[in-house]
Amino acid sequence: MNQNQIKFGDYLIIQRQGYTKLHKIKPNGTITLGKDVIQLDNIVGHKYYETFRMIVKPGSKRLYTLEEVNELTTKNQLNIEQSGADNRNIIDDGNSQALTKDEIERLRDQAVSSSDIVEKLIANSKTFNSKTEYSQEKYLKKKEKKYFEYIQVRKPSIRLLAQLFYRQDPAKTLGIRIDDLSQILTYANIQSDGKFLLYDSGTSGLVTSAIMNSIGPNTHGQLIHAHPGNECQKAAFLAMQFPQEQVDRCIHVNLYSVLRCYYQEGGNYVKGNESDKKQNQEKSGDNSQNVNQKSHSEDNAKCSGSNSESTHEANQDSQNDEITKQSNINSRKRKHSESDSNETGTVVKRPYWQLENEKACHILQEKVDSIIVVAKEHPMSIVKELLPFLKDGRTLVVFNLVKEPLQDLYFYLKNRTDFIGVKLSNNFMRNYQVLPERTHPEVIMNFGGYILSGYKLNM
Amino acid sequence: MSFNGFKEVIGEGDTVILYLTIHQIYSVKADVKTLSKKGATVENIFQTPYGALKCADLIGKKYGTKINLSKGWGYVLQPSPELWTLTLPHRTQIIYTPDASMIVLQLELTPNSIVIESGTGSGSLSHALIRAIKPHGHVYTFDFHEQRVQTASTEFKEHGLSEWVTVKHRDVCSAGFGSELDNVADAVFLDLPHPWLAIPHATKAIKEVGGRICSFSPCIEQVQKSCSTLAELGFQEIQTIEVLQTQYSVQARSLNVLNLDFVKIKKNDSENEKNKEKEVVRTITSVPPSTQPGHTGFLTLGTLPPVWAKSLKEQMENSNMDIE
Ligand SMILES: C[S@@+](CC[C@H](N)C(=O)[O-])C[C@H]1O[C@@H](n2cnc3c(N)ncnc32)[C@H](O)[C@@H]1O
Repeated sequence: MNQNQIKFGDYLIIQRQGYTKLHKIKPNGTITLGKDVIQLDNIVGHKYYETFRMIVKPGSKRLYTLEEVNELTTKNQLNIEQSGADNRNIIDDGNSQALTKDEIERLRDQAVSSSDIVEKLIANSKTFNSKTEYSQEKYLKKKEKKYFEYIQVRKPSIRLLAQLFYRQDPAKTLGIRIDDLSQILTYANIQSDGKFLLYDSGTSGLVTSAIMNSIGPNTHGQLIHAHPGNECQKAAFLAMQFPQEQVDRCIHVNLYSVLRCYYQEGGNYVKGNESDKKQNQEKSGDNSQNVNQKSHSEDNAKCSGSNSESTHEANQDSQNDEITKQSNINSRKRKHSESDSNETGTVVKRPYWQLENEKACHILQEKVDSIIVVAKEHPMSIVKELLPFLKDGRTLVVFNLVKEPLQDLYFYLKNRTDFIGVKLSNNFMRNYQVLPERTHPEVIMNFGGYILSGYKLNM
Repeated sequence: MSFNGFKEVIGEGDTVILYLTIHQIYSVKADVKTLSKKGATVENIFQTPYGALKCADLIGKKYGTKINLSKGWGYVLQPSPELWTLTLPHRTQIIYTPDASMIVLQLELTPNSIVIESGTGSGSLSHALIRAIKPHGHVYTFDFHEQRVQTASTEFKEHGLSEWVTVKHRDVCSAGFGSELDNVADAVFLDLPHPWLAIPHATKAIKEVGGRICSFSPCIEQVQKSCSTLAELGFQEIQTIEVLQTQYSVQARSLNVLNLDFVKIKKNDSENEKNKEKEVVRTITSVPPSTQPGHTGFLTLGTLPPVWAKSLKEQMENSNMDIE
């Protein structure tokens, strides 16, 4: 039961109508939905999936608290007496709604419940009763959508997050739609006990978290998540709130920094095994100083701490502002790992990113079970650089919203003699409205991206 | 035994994917002997378009390597659910990878989920489900066709997957999934001619904390019935989607360019000669196949809310799902 209870610190998906928003709940925190500001403290201790009604705070206009509800006022409880058989008598002259916009807003500020408002709207709509039942329903939905006062609190899942980001802005996940994501996971053969290598330069942590979710808790799988900047995006990763043991099996590294560590620090880290203990016992002095001296910001791959927050691109829309702001603050504090004592008893501070690099290098040394590249950049140089780390017989999966870079890659892989089964694909996905006598494809559709995959051979 | 986790070397009894070309992919068993049609024990030889393969020779080879055939060569790969789907013996219609991928994600499976599937059919989807729930979860799969149940169970055993799957012989529409599965499932998947008859049983099988359901149906009438049953039984987030994948062939094409400049000037023989040199433009393009499957099935999805949220039957989601 415990994990179904909402507590401070949790990431929630707040859902109102078809709209969803990711939010981290803090004491005295509020969330802004449209023009409404909602205090969330009341939901702590309640369970996920419960529904709450927004209650306006006395003396305020758009400030609400939440109250648990057990029954909803819905369109079915509205009194619809007449409906026309068809719409031959409806003339839309723009005057059919007798309440003005201002009047509606005023009703709203008087905190009338949304079904009351809708009822008033109906009463004032000259044409409502002559509309067909079908269009009445549409009308109600349109109105209710605007005035709905219920919110539901959901626990984040990969499915909900993929939908949430895509609906807000496909650019937040580099255009990865839920079907794309599902296929990336299958073609990369993600499962509980493999070692996987991901290059992701901006999917809000969606791909990382989806892979970690498929690797699962209390398993042996590990993921190296390489990214190009100082910090990686990890909104979705944080939202999933994986247990620490699982979080620790996701190693976030800066791509340049980890490759430099692999090629330039060579033998130094190789002797240790993967356990931190052993690494700490290494004569880590020179090693860490070497890397420390490099003051390049790219070495400061600070995003692995379980407490650190994601940082988003500036172009991200305001919906996740709260999470973003918070992340920026946290990420300014450069985090160092616990001090390690070496054999001589002196204390050597080894930055967190360096330990992560070494962990990653151990895995790269043994090679990985699949490589996934979801890049803003042209994938070619990245793929070329990463392929030596792919085991024989395993898959490379590259996603891009446009096909041209993948076409280049296709020819490149075809010309190598050690690749087979190279495929370039994309999906058509369509949603359907299914209602009695009114079933049809949804009127809006969108376009997914392209996936290239292939098997590497031992030649 | 080659379906459980990643393997480097082919062991005796492994199912091995033999890759010749993108359209010629087979699965063979790395067994020394096999039974002939007459029931006699004979050497296990697999005939390919490029000659015979002695399956015993596969044992000890590394996955991902080239192997010689009498008239050519091929490559051996470790089977994945995707490669298995391409090569498995069809006993029924099967679910292909684009749908299977979506089903796994939509059912929110993780390596500790309990999932119920019916019907088992050829076990195509089952392999994808098992990969997703290993090592802490379990798949319970049901079919009312006795022989399919037996074949599937033998296959799972041969693939080293028995630990994570229970195959049961039962008509799930009339008999349900059994009281031992009441409130144990995180997810239920249906690929049945009459899914709406199994949905009430699914409701019983799903955990009290709620769970996901997915029904795959080729026909829209099945979808309509399923959707109204789901709504009646309190499912939320009811959604019907369709996913089709197109595979492209990437090609470099050379196109001749007609030079039409000289039409504007008076005819001059020597110049005309010059213009006969053809100009060619090369472009890279991705060509879809001339035909491809235009329909597989509709995926109808839903969430059974947890017990504490069920009282809100007429839920906002249902009435608004189709707005967005
Ligand atoms: C299309 S096949 C399933 C294929 C499977 N999803 C796959 O990917 O291989 C449908 C199966 O459902 C079984 N079936 C049909 N009605 C059933 C019922 N009422 N109870 C149990 N199984 C049933 C059939 O015997 C058949 O094997």
